[in-house]
Amino acid sequence: MAELNLIVVTPEKTALETKAEFVALTLFDGEVGIAPGRSPLIGRLGYGEMRLRSGGTTTHYYVDGGFVQVDDNVVSVLTGKAGPAGDLDPAEAQKNLEAAQPLPSNTPELMEIRDRTVLQARGQLRVANRA
Amino acid sequence: MANPRQLDKRRKSIKNIRKITRTMELIATARFKQAMDRAAAATAYTQRMTQLVADLAQSGLEVSHPLLEAREKTEKGVLLVLSANRGLCGGYNSNIVRLAQAKQRELSLEVPDLDVVVSGKRGINGLKFRGVPIDDTYTHFEDKPAYEEVEAIADQLLDSYATGKLDRLDVVYTQFHTVARQEAVVETLLPLGSLDVGKADEKPQKPGTAKQSSGAPAKMYDFLPSAESILEEVVPTSFKIKLFKCFLDAAVSEQVARMVAMKAATDAAGDMIKAISREYNRARQARITNEIMEVISGTEALA
Repeated sequence: MAELNLIVVTPEKTALETKAEFVALTLFDGEVGIAPGRSPLIGRLGYGEMRLRSGGTTTHYYVDGGFVQVDDNVVSVLTGKAGPAGDLDPAEAQKNLEAAQPLPSNTPELMEIRDRTVLQARGQLRVANRA
Repeated sequence: MANPRQLDKRRKSIKNIRKITRTMELIATARFKQAMDRAAAATAYTQRMTQLVADLAQSGLEVSHPLLEAREKTEKGVLLVLSANRGLCGGYNSNIVRLAQAKQRELSLEVPDLDVVVSGKRGINGLKFRGVPIDDTYTHFEDKPAYEEVEAIADQLLDSYATGKLDRLDVVYTQFHTVARQEAVVETLLPLGSLDVGKADEKPQKPGTAKQSSGAPAKMYDFLPSAESILEEVVPTSFKIKLFKCFLDAAVSEQVARMVAMKAATDAAGDMIKAISREYNRARQARITNEIMEVISGTEALA
């Protein structure tokens, strides 16, 4: 069976380069599952979990926004930060969320900034709690 | 005639200095290699990013974003100066400081409210000495700037740009061309101007993509959620990458500059030791000859 080639790159390093049977990623507005043979895709990632199934085991990662490009069974994930879900600290994520919620939101721009920060903290919290 | 003992003392101290500069050279070389590897890793990211932007452009998307357009009036600007925390790296810091001061003078005529933000102790002190007002400083960037730390600054800048608290951002840093050539430059990062994330060093990759697009029919990509939404994210990300690249370049250049400066210092110390040794031997010989002369003239007087 065809396999997916998953490459996760951050500006600092190639965080992960592996084969997988199935990859699920959090997109900006939902979740996408990618199996071998997926038609070419460019997606905007949200803050959340990346699940990766390979040889019957599922591994969880946290991906901090960015993009995904699928082409010819190669899944490239471009993100600012990526790491195993277990590395996140739920207490810190909770603190970030609490810090983000009272940010001012009286203009559209400020609201956007606040929403983004809240979403990021929520994504971290969700992944951290599940790990 | 010089005192041989004094000469010997000097020679010893220069030998010690040479030991230190040689060690510093080795350290700088090791750090340079590390910094270079990090820069190479960042290139992998920028290449993929360039590819993504190219694919996005193929879908016939109109590229427009607030970050790409110049503001009508620039009221508020930020001049970000990237220098080193440490000295002993040749002209690295002084070049940056000189350029930053010139740019500050030039910009303050155009931009009424200009903030000067400096990273690196040397730059802070240099600009302070020259009487340039500094509004904010960072000293936590060493030879390995972390993306997370740069991103925090980038986010802050982007947020103030979005809310109209910032109209223009210029960065003064040392661009790394080759090991033999680094250059202090000023780059305007906000407004962004164009989307090409990669600079000159990404060029070799382009012919490959061109071939692909001319040979095979263009790939039809699914855009999730939409091409516009992706572009909305691409633009800030490419800004962050550009800023990160500035920090990486500055770090690599600093190590190269230090390596070169310490090599020159080691070589100069070697030359100096040679010259002093020669002088010392001559002085010692002169003294011996003198003593023999005294002994001979003494015996001659007795005879």
